Amino acid sequence: MKAIWRIAKATFHEAWRRRFLNGILVFAILIIGSSWTFTYLQPGAELKMLIDTGLGAIRFFGMLIAIFLGVRLIPDELERQTIHTLLAKPVTRVQFMLGKFFGGLATVFTNVALMGITFFIVYAIKAPQFQNAAAEEGPTYSMQFMSANIAKAIGLCFFELAVLLSIAVLASILFSWILASIFSFFIYFVGQMADFLRELASPEHGADPISSIVFNVLYRILPHFEIFDIREKILLDDFVPWGLLRNVTAQAIIYVVVVLMLAYLFFNEREV
Amino acid sequence: MAKGQIFGLVGPNGSGKTTTLKLLLGLVFPTSGTGEVFGYPLGSPIYKERIGFVPEGPYFYDYLNAVELLRFYGSLFGLGGARLQERIESLLKLVGMWDRRDRKVVNYSRGMLQRIGLAQALINEPDLVFMDEPTAGLDPIGAIQIREVIRRLRDDGKTVFLCSHLLKEMEPLCDSVAILNRGVVCRTGTMTELLTGEDSHYVATFRGLAEASLQQLQSLAMSVEQNEEEYTASFRDQSSAVTAAETLAGSGVELVALQPYRLSLEEVFIDAVGGMPQ
Repeated sequence: MKAIWRIAKATFHEAWRRRFLNGILVFAILIIGSSWTFTYLQPGAELKMLIDTGLGAIRFFGMLIAIFLGVRLIPDELERQTIHTLLAKPVTRVQFMLGKFFGGLATVFTNVALMGITFFIVYAIKAPQFQNAAAEEGPTYSMQFMSANIAKAIGLCFFELAVLLSIAVLASILFSWILASIFSFFIYFVGQMADFLRELASPEHGADPISSIVFNVLYRILPHFEIFDIREKILLDDFVPWGLLRNVTAQAIIYVVVVLMLAYLFFNEREV
Repeated sequence: MAKGQIFGLVGPNGSGKTTTLKLLLGLVFPTSGTGEVFGYPLGSPIYKERIGFVPEGPYFYDYLNAVELLRFYGSLFGLGGARLQERIESLLKLVGMWDRRDRKVVNYSRGMLQRIGLAQALINEPDLVFMDEPTAGLDPIGAIQIREVIRRLRDDGKTVFLCSHLLKEMEPLCDSVAILNRGVVCRTGTMTELLTGEDSHYVATFRGLAEASLQQLQSLAMSVEQNEEEYTASFRDQSSAVTAAETLAGSGVELVALQPYRLSLEEVFIDAVGGMPQ
């Protein structure tokens, strides 16, 4: 455990030295910080617009950070040969890989937390103003109720990014980092449309047997990223039940474990 | 490999030296065959507790300074506290980096990287140290210092596995050597065994030979070669060389040197790998 912790810590420190990732974070914070300016696009629904833009930005920039970080975690160690001195110590490959992953995960967590805090600050300043305007047209929910829902959405976003990070790490072991980035983006976008894959697999939609099998397999093995997106519920002022959070989180953890096991199988065979 | 000695693995480029080293460190896996280090199978983390590794052209996390780097590597062995701090200080002094301990790795020269590479390899006080071209990129003084450290390790009872193609450097340093060619060990033994070979005759160098004494020497020696004003003669054994020296001394001939016949590692190496490439 100590080896995993040490490597994770080193990975975390190193990740904050990547200017490209820092640039994404700064840009994300700027966008989230100024998200209230987009609210004029939907007069009368400013609060919903604010939440939609803010949470959307956290998901989008979080996705960029998770992919670009994940695909470089292990290849950088291989290219710079820093892995040689590490694996020559009493560090197993699984410890090394987990250390890299958890270091990356901690980085993603911190990035999401910083973006989330920025959004909450904007929300705390602007929401009462928008809420007062909305109150004139009908009943509104309390800030506390909305804040809890937003926190849940940000929490789910983190678990979504954990899944994406594990996929990026697996891809980086199998392919070059450029190909791994493309692969990760592809999985992310297809994973957003998992339900659409099921529809495509349906014979009612004219799928031939082979296409049906292919779409079915894809539906079963690809992560269903849309389950992490609860913005719609929040915008409809629905309460986000804790049970949903538990289920989605459990699915994410299982998916991460399976992907990391696969990554380990390939990494263990790889020459370094 | 015998304990407490400096063992050298030499071979031409592409002979498999680095691959052998990587196999021993568990960085690559054998496609066939097995191997053990300290009785444990290749790659086992158990024996890695007792080894150190100095890579060729070491690369480290460049945002750390020397102390932070050694603390990081020490922590992988479960070391910490005052004991680790003392160890870091003594190692940095040993490799001549104590005065530059606060400088970040990113600002290190090749020589400094090599020194810190050696320090990190010794952080766990290993019984066996693997080194891949440990003096590559070092200035002459740096190379001498590293060789001194290697000798000191042997004197402290550690075993050193050196991988290099710098034969002139390996010859005075190693106790035994294996010559690797195209993935096969084609010759191995102690340095004395390899350099004296089966031909264990003696070589004497004389000066001040007149025509008569030269003829006398030629009759006593197996062969005589002239080298400017000196003559080098080969004898079957030490006693016949001494007898010849005593006989010639009466004619005013001076014995300059008498030593067992010894090849250079370079000669042994070229012979072992099948001569110079065409």
